[in-house]
Amino acid sequence: MKKSIFLHAAAILSIAAVCSGETPETILIRSTLGNDLSGHRRADTDLVLSAYHEDFAGYQGNGNADPRAWSVLYENLDGFTDALDKKLSTYRYETERTLPFIHVRGKKAMVTSIDSGKVVDRGTGEARSIKTRRFWTLRKVEEEWLITGLIEDLGSAAQAVPKAGDHAEEIVELLQRERQGWEDGSAGSISGLFDEEFIGYDGYGTVKPETWKIIFGGTEELEKWLDKRLQRTSYKVDRQVIFTSVDANRHEALALTSEKLTTTHEKGDAAHSTNRYVLWTLSRRTGDWKITNMCYNIGIDN
Amino acid sequence: MKKITLFVCGALWALGFSACSTTDQQVSDLLEQLAANQIETASWQLAVDELAAIGRPAARQLVAHLNPDHYKGVNYREYRSEQEKLRTGAARALGHIKPRGATVALDDRIVVGYTDHERIACIWAIGEIGFNQTGLDALKAQLKDKNPLIRLHAAIGIVKMDEDDGIEEIEAALNGDADQLVKIALQGLEESNYYGVPHLSRFARQTGPSQKQLSQVVDRVKTQLVTQLAAEEPTIRQRSARGLGIIGDPSARQGLLQLLEDPNNLVRFNAAAALATMDDSQGIVFLFAALQNEDPILRANAVKFLTQVQRSSGAVEGQLLDALGGDNPLSRSGAAQVLGEARVVDAVQALLTATADAVAEVRCSAIIALGQIGPDDIRDRLQALCEDSDPTVSYYAEWALQQLGQS
Repeated sequence: MKKSIFLHAAAILSIAAVCSGETPETILIRSTLGNDLSGHRRADTDLVLSAYHEDFAGYQGNGNADPRAWSVLYENLDGFTDALDKKLSTYRYETERTLPFIHVRGKKAMVTSIDSGKVVDRGTGEARSIKTRRFWTLRKVEEEWLITGLIEDLGSAAQAVPKAGDHAEEIVELLQRERQGWEDGSAGSISGLFDEEFIGYDGYGTVKPETWKIIFGGTEELEKWLDKRLQRTSYKVDRQVIFTSVDANRHEALALTSEKLTTTHEKGDAAHSTNRYVLWTLSRRTGDWKITNMCYNIGIDN
Repeated sequence: MKKITLFVCGALWALGFSACSTTDQQVSDLLEQLAANQIETASWQLAVDELAAIGRPAARQLVAHLNPDHYKGVNYREYRSEQEKLRTGAARALGHIKPRGATVALDDRIVVGYTDHERIACIWAIGEIGFNQTGLDALKAQLKDKNPLIRLHAAIGIVKMDEDDGIEEIEAALNGDADQLVKIALQGLEESNYYGVPHLSRFARQTGPSQKQLSQVVDRVKTQLVTQLAAEEPTIRQRSARGLGIIGDPSARQGLLQLLEDPNNLVRFNAAAALATMDDSQGIVFLFAALQNEDPILRANAVKFLTQVQRSSGAVEGQLLDALGGDNPLSRSGAAQVLGEARVVDAVQALLTATADAVAEVRCSAIIALGQIGPDDIRDRLQALCEDSDPTVSYYAEWALQQLGQS
């Protein structure tokens, strides 16, 4: 009898989930981001941290959708934990969270959230209203989704950006090696520069993550694509690194490149060409710099 | 023995597997050729043709390439224009292969989010695959598109489904001065095969700027239909025969005559009807012979096809009146039915005479025909027939009076 009731309840929940556009994965993702929110509201550090992956890194969006205005905010989970402890002891969070966009591909996901409500200073009782948009990346580990990346205060449009300073040479050098790999047709030398768990996106010419798609979920998939693609095509990549941002400890980095990409085919004379911006995030958590996120065709001109 | 069986099974499995993987590889190579060449170039077209030649084993991969979500991971393509070449070529090949299950995937790609190349190729493929309610609804929706090219292609696709919504779009193209649209309309009507024949024949008879080209298309379609009279599929033979009847060219006579001996009933009747429409005596004789056959199915077919012939050409009116006055009661009854169905007003007097026939079935058929034609001056006769000794006759006399309405 109990089993029958359980099965009926499960079936009803599944139907309800399908009807609302939810999938088991989006429900689990909501639960993870719900733990982050609840942990903030209850000042429960452990609950917040239960939602995060050890590979986590976070960036400050500074209210701008143009990555040239972004910087590294949390170089790793330790940096985040320190900041969290300070925030939770200083402020009380009375906020709500909505998740207008969740995109899942395999064991990788991206989400945008809007948090609104009040943040109250525990010492003075002073409250300030907040409304902030965030971009999250998550990875499924066993049966759990964990947060691997965050862009805090992501703007909804590209705004004016400060003039770029000097570029981090090691980042420029790595991205030029990646470019060279394409021109040499060497799949191995390209994929070797990527973190095993990296996420690749196509931005389809916009700065709105809601229109982006995850195109690669890890190096295994990237390698298969490169093997297939480079057997039949040749690439010419004219790449300019136009922005880099590296944290003080040189653990985490952001970069933006502008490039002209041209592809010719072995089986015909059509040549495809495009001018695009590519957003990169990189990490040195395994020793060498590795690419952790790559978004082709991010539309900062649009 | 068991070992040999196992070996043979294993060898067959390996052979089958390797054949599948070889075909998959061949399809992949051809898809790569699509991506690597501009649309409509010789190399691109060759890839389409070779994919079409592979047929159904290629369909799964082709359908997959229509979907934008396919272009991720190992199938990622950076360029929208590369996807366009693939999607357009895949749709063209699917139009040749005609897998019914592809319609839904094609329907989703004919909306404004896709390029004109993609939309037109998918619309064309939907039409080639043939009638399917979802496909028809999707094409009808495109008749409201801003682009006349899309509207015209959608209208042609609809004709290929044996429907005529949007036919005015084709007519407007043929009567307009845009050479590109005229060319597409002519090509579409030619590709529509027997489904396009009623419209094609009508347009060719009208005076207009494209009349000469339309006559040339009619000639080519006629040649195609004559070839199809020998098709293996009875439906193709049947529809081709009907199309030739509508075109009405006596040069198709020989092929149609051969079909009078076809093993398929409907093929024989369509051929006979086509010949009768051309006023050919053998077709007429065939249909009138069937009218007096003991088999009620053959008689029903004879009535149906003689009605079509009479309606479209009036070619058998004299023979019908003769049959109504003839010796055979089955012929008399059948002729009355045809005259009623075809609403032959000049037959009223002969039908009134037939209401006095000695055979009740003939009287019934004549009364029903009069009810269908509906002359006003037969009430007295019908009133009298309400008292007929045969209850069926009296029943239909009352029915016919009801058809005439209150005096």
